Amino acid sequence: MSNVAPADIDDGIASAASADPLGPGSMLYDLSHQVRWGLVATRAIVLEAAHPQIDAALITNSTFVAHPWRRLRNTVLSTQRMVNPDERVRRREAARLNRLHARITGTDAEGRPFNAADPEVRAWVVATMFESTVTMCRLSGESLDGPALDRLYSEFLALLALMEPDGGKLPPTLREFWPYYEFMIEERLENTETVHIILDRLFAQVPAPPLLRDRPAAWAAGRALAGPVATAITVASLPEPLRARLGLPELPGARTLIHTAYLSTRLATRLLPEAWTRLDTVMTMLDPKYAPAPDGDPLAGLRRGAAKAGALFRLLTPSPMTPPADESRLRSASRFFSEVLDQTGNGYLDWPDVAAMAREIATRLDLDAQDEDRLFTAFADWWRELQKELDTDGDGRISGQEYAAATAAMTSSALIRVAEVLFDVTDADGDQTIDAREYRALFRTAFDHDAGDADERLTRAEFVRRFLNFMAGRGHSDAYEGLFAQS
Amino acid sequence: MDGNGRWAAQRSLPRTAGHQAAEAAVIDVIEAAHTAGVEWLSLYAFSTENWRRPAAEIDVLLRLVRRAIRKHALSLHARGVRCRFLGVADPRIPPPLARDIADLMALTRDNRRMTLTVAFDHGGRRDIVEAARSLIRDGVPPEQVTEESFARHLPHPDMPEVDLVIRTSGEQRISNFMLWQVAYAEWVFPEVLWPDFRAEHFWECLDVYRRRDRRFGGVQVPTATGKGA
Repeated sequence: MSNVAPADIDDGIASAASADPLGPGSMLYDLSHQVRWGLVATRAIVLEAAHPQIDAALITNSTFVAHPWRRLRNTVLSTQRMVNPDERVRRREAARLNRLHARITGTDAEGRPFNAADPEVRAWVVATMFESTVTMCRLSGESLDGPALDRLYSEFLALLALMEPDGGKLPPTLREFWPYYEFMIEERLENTETVHIILDRLFAQVPAPPLLRDRPAAWAAGRALAGPVATAITVASLPEPLRARLGLPELPGARTLIHTAYLSTRLATRLLPEAWTRLDTVMTMLDPKYAPAPDGDPLAGLRRGAAKAGALFRLLTPSPMTPPADESRLRSASRFFSEVLDQTGNGYLDWPDVAAMAREIATRLDLDAQDEDRLFTAFADWWRELQKELDTDGDGRISGQEYAAATAAMTSSALIRVAEVLFDVTDADGDQTIDAREYRALFRTAFDHDAGDADERLTRAEFVRRFLNFMAGRGHSDAYEGLFAQS
Repeated sequence: MDGNGRWAAQRSLPRTAGHQAAEAAVIDVIEAAHTAGVEWLSLYAFSTENWRRPAAEIDVLLRLVRRAIRKHALSLHARGVRCRFLGVADPRIPPPLARDIADLMALTRDNRRMTLTVAFDHGGRRDIVEAARSLIRDGVPPEQVTEESFARHLPHPDMPEVDLVIRTSGEQRISNFMLWQVAYAEWVFPEVLWPDFRAEHFWECLDVYRRRDRRFGGVQVPTATGKGA
């Protein structure tokens, strides 16, 4: 197999016949760092969700419904770790995903078993990403030729092999891949609930860019227009048989729209400074809590410009002197329940909700198996205690009413244990304080100076106190809101 | 700013009317300093001790400050004025005002024509105590603590020493204002009440300053500090 990539992707890698199928120099590495990869990830997630087993896993375990952007961000982050230049980072991420998937098994409401670690399921996930990448290139007017397709496919096989010791269940060659893909589309995919949830909610929840922060109304208005357009683009890019099965009509003009959208991301990728069109850039621009590390931010100028524009916009638009106090500072028990505790958004607090919190922390901190186990065990103990105390009707889960009736029980010894384990795993250097770097790893934001963090360090006692305050719904915390409540 | 209350009392108006009238003086002085080529102008708007005033008056004052920031942000930015605040640490400052202050600083941070420092919720002693804390936190050994190294731990360490302090309405006290930075400053005490203070008063003060024989600091391009409150 020759290693020739179309010049459009990156002239620099065309001749890079590196032995390493992932990492810098691979097509996957370059593509997965471009902003266009966001379109790939979005489309792939829709195709995944049409798989009945994945649908069941998502419905019962995933926080997709309540936090679709978190899932998208984690998908992107995970892919980028899997193509990291350092092989150890890749293996570590693969091992983490394996542990994560092993925790997602069960039976859905209709009695269908599901298992996220099922090799066939995982093969399909990688297949959707490969096919979406190919489609993305085609729609943006740079169809990959035979050798490039072969190379890209072999890179995805290598990606799957990182997670599957026996190499995984994808067809070994590209020639065999297409029949497999068509079979999956024709025979296996279904009109599942999660596909519609994703299409309905993902773009309806795009977080506001810096310019429009604190202007939720203006952002909501813009999003109300842009959301359906983004959905139409995603829908129009789906394979025709699947779209028909999902009952999604082809909208007039959608073809033109989709080409325009893909083409403009490609042009943007080629014409704008490389740093601007990097996917992480766009993701961090959208992340309301993200604050760049003080050193080495190549986008400082752009960020500064955006910050200035945002500042001017806010200064020039009317805003009341007194914000509605109940809105900003005090959240009622029911709001806390729906925004923080009910991670899966099904109206109940259940183990998947609690596990989702642990999962988000483990992903952010990139924990190893031992720390991850400690964290999950602490959360599990807390969950058992909650269940015992709060589940008054004995249905195994806690409703919003049950929770509201007994909020006092939230500060329990098991929750203190959770806080302590969270402190331990966050305190990466083990010096018994959380410094600015460790704080940023967990919360993706700088220390909150308003909360009196003049020292740039948090002691164990202070960390535990803040966590308990937040989890008891007593204290507002931007940092924890960003970790648990926001999309 | 100094004399607002008396100004209002002379006209049988509520004290808050004096604060309202002060805005025109602030804008006039900024404009005058800008024209005169003053590169560093500081205004003492609100001291840490001012929180002891009646709640209603403080409330009006905070609203006035916020309104003024929003009203003049764009023109300050257009004139190349970098706006900074000194103090602003008290939790009683309403979040919308804190947000606007942060926005004004972010908007104008790269401007260089003139730096306007608004001392708001400011206390000179507090700044010195904070600098001492910062030194201790950094573990600076005692023999390395010098006047220069100490000054680097004060807020806005790039700010030069104050050359001239203007305190209006005949008051002749320091009132905890930039204690460290005023060590060698010249002081003038015009009798005029702050709401009546205008560009011509500012020019007069600069004139007085020019005629003084100073041992410290240059006299080519004077930096000036207006003292209100």
